[in-house]
Amino acid sequence: MTDRDGGLSGRVASSTDDADRDVLARVSNGELDALQDLYDRYRTMAYSIALRITADASLAEDVVQDAFLGAWRNAARYVEGRGSVKTWLLSIVHHRAIDAVRRRRPTSELPEAEAPPPPALTLPDVWKEVAGNLDREAIAAALATLSVVQREAIELAYFGGLTQVEIADRTGAPLGTVKSRVRLGLLAMRAELTGEAADAGEADTQ
Amino acid sequence: MTIQPSPLSHADALDLAPLYVLGALEDAEMAAVREHLATCPESHDEFEELGGVVPYLLESPDIEIVEPSAALGDRIMAAAAADLAERTAAERTTPATAAERTAPVPFPSADERTARAERTRNRPGPLAWIAAIAAVIAIAVLGVWNVRLQGQVNDLEQQATAAEQYRTAVTTVLDVAAQPGSQTALLAPQTTGGPRGIASVASDGSVQFAMQDLAPTSGSQVYETWAILPNSNPVPLGSFTVDASGVASFTSKQGPVGPGMAVAVSREPQAGATAPTEVVSVGVASTPAS
Repeated sequence: MTDRDGGLSGRVASSTDDADRDVLARVSNGELDALQDLYDRYRTMAYSIALRITADASLAEDVVQDAFLGAWRNAARYVEGRGSVKTWLLSIVHHRAIDAVRRRRPTSELPEAEAPPPPALTLPDVWKEVAGNLDREAIAAALATLSVVQREAIELAYFGGLTQVEIADRTGAPLGTVKSRVRLGLLAMRAELTGEAADAGEADTQ
Repeated sequence: MTIQPSPLSHADALDLAPLYVLGALEDAEMAAVREHLATCPESHDEFEELGGVVPYLLESPDIEIVEPSAALGDRIMAAAAADLAERTAAERTTPATAAERTAPVPFPSADERTARAERTRNRPGPLAWIAAIAAVIAIAVLGVWNVRLQGQVNDLEQQATAAEQYRTAVTTVLDVAAQPGSQTALLAPQTTGGPRGIASVASDGSVQFAMQDLAPTSGSQVYETWAILPNSNPVPLGSFTVDASGVASFTSKQGPVGPGMAVAVSREPQAGATAPTEVVSVGVASTPAS
């Protein structure tokens, strides 16, 4: 078994990012061993995220395969400066997993047939990470600042694939309340993460 | 409910920002916000403030760490190898120098096929690769695989002649599969309704194929068979032609054998291809569990 913390523990940010970008450059050049390298680096995180969202081992593997093949074919579309390779790759996994659970859901309000294809392979341009790579403790601390209802709303949206209307239905909260819970929750995380980032910068490596 | 694609006011867009950055709006609303961001000259710092946090949710310590199966990596690498083989084949037909490799491939058919496959992947409904993966998973255990195959054979009984031919071809494959050291692959179509089948790789590296739903060949056209090992170029195993039945039973020459290998069938303008032009069906070989 792999060390439980192995996949997600903190890394020295800059060297990991540089190495990832080198690997991705080779992937975009069509080098299969670079894809293998990328897969070996992120398969555990990718699969864990896909499994969390789909709660289905077989579907999660489909999602991971789809995501890595998407990365293989579209590595050239990664835009440096808009986020790390890790974030780009994992956001593809997230997107495809949400897509899979929404398709699977029987009585969704989503207009199944005419739904336009989501822009799956570009990182949303609003995703400028606030602090580069952070370790799990920092992220846990940021999550701990959320209230129970804020966290519930964010998790239903981000890991459950529910829309704001569906979240309001599920939680019994008015739509405006759902919006403000998510907004305040994300802002609280941001405050905690940017504070942590300043500290981590002082401490350099840890 | 239907949302009119009318332009959002700046205030409306800001109101939707928290759910937008999580992707938790209806598709029409997502599109309306995207449109607003692309066209509105006012500040959208709020989106970045909220959105910058979102990637860290993917590293939440609450997400249980689980390793994927070892077979997943093999499947991904085999699929990428098949994809690369097509790209390489398209590039080899150009008179371009190595420096010009990145120019658009001048093979409209292969190019369009890739683009179409990409679009199909993003659309709701069954995806080509998901079907392929489902097929491969189904054969991971010989017992499951036998049940599946039996069902496949039963379904075909109404389609008299072609079905009978395919059944005979499958029986031949099964004979190879039953021998020690052999590996078996279900070949899944690369496009919806495309050719599919089953193949067994004998320990000597020869491959027995049973294929159906192949488009008939004409003129010098052939189907070429390939062995693809991870991180290696596809090795041609010999070609065959197909009549109106769309069925083929084919014994290849000996090729390479190894863990994680895939077998593929490509359509070629003539015999003697050294790299696949258009892969029509592919599957990863696996050894049935004892």
